[in-house]
Amino acid sequence: MLFTPRWLSWHLFAVAAFAGMMWLGDWQFRRAVAGNTLSWAYTFEWPVFAVFGAVFWVKTVRDELRPARPVERAKVVLPAGAGAGEGASAADDTPTPGADADADEGENDVALAEYNAYLAMLNKEVKGHGQWHGLR
Amino acid sequence: MDADRLRAVVVRAYRVMAYVTGTMLIILCFVGIPLQVFAGNDAVAKIVGTAHGFLYIVYLVVAFTMTRMVRIRTASLTTVIVLAAGTIPVLTFVVERWVTRRYINPALAADQAGTARAAVSHSQ
Repeated sequence: MLFTPRWLSWHLFAVAAFAGMMWLGDWQFRRAVAGNTLSWAYTFEWPVFAVFGAVFWVKTVRDELRPARPVERAKVVLPAGAGAGEGASAADDTPTPGADADADEGENDVALAEYNAYLAMLNKEVKGHGQWHGLR
Repeated sequence: MDADRLRAVVVRAYRVMAYVTGTMLIILCFVGIPLQVFAGNDAVAKIVGTAHGFLYIVYLVVAFTMTRMVRIRTASLTTVIVLAAGTIPVLTFVVERWVTRRYINPALAADQAGTARAAVSHSQ
């Protein structure tokens, strides 16, 4: 993964940028020694930028090597007795023969499907937030 | 401090640094450099230029931390734009608005959704 042309050019750029910034620091140091007071500030700034560039490069490589972090999910804790309640309601729902009951169930299914679709939409919406969906 | 609060603090620090660095850069480019070039007075450019240089170091660290906390990929053009914005006049302000709308607000909204969900499961 790290040896595609895209990554190789990134590695090359990182090395060149680091060397370039260190060289600029050295150049400012020579100017500072020659009497340019302002150059003392830049003498320290350029190496800091170079180190930041190196850290940045390490982070990109580590992100690439590490698989994507799983989406944090809030743990849903069912209240005590929920399971038993569900069992009881399931027992209540046992279909009784008759046209009335069938019609009722059909209505319930539609409502349930609608509700599930609504939940799925909400879930999708929340999951999409804060995730990467931009330029690569 | 939990992760959500830390994220909010880093986002605020990023905003402050974006505005401070951006303002310094505007003063440098539209006051300091014209004075230096046309009036031969380099006092403003020297002071503001040096200040911007050091502020930009702080900006880099804060902005980089922020991009990671709102899940912007490190190896992405977005991250590069956010970091480079501190060296290009006016761009800091534009990028801050864009990143807020596109990444920070969704990330903070996801935090709030998580908190709300946790509250619901506790109250039940």
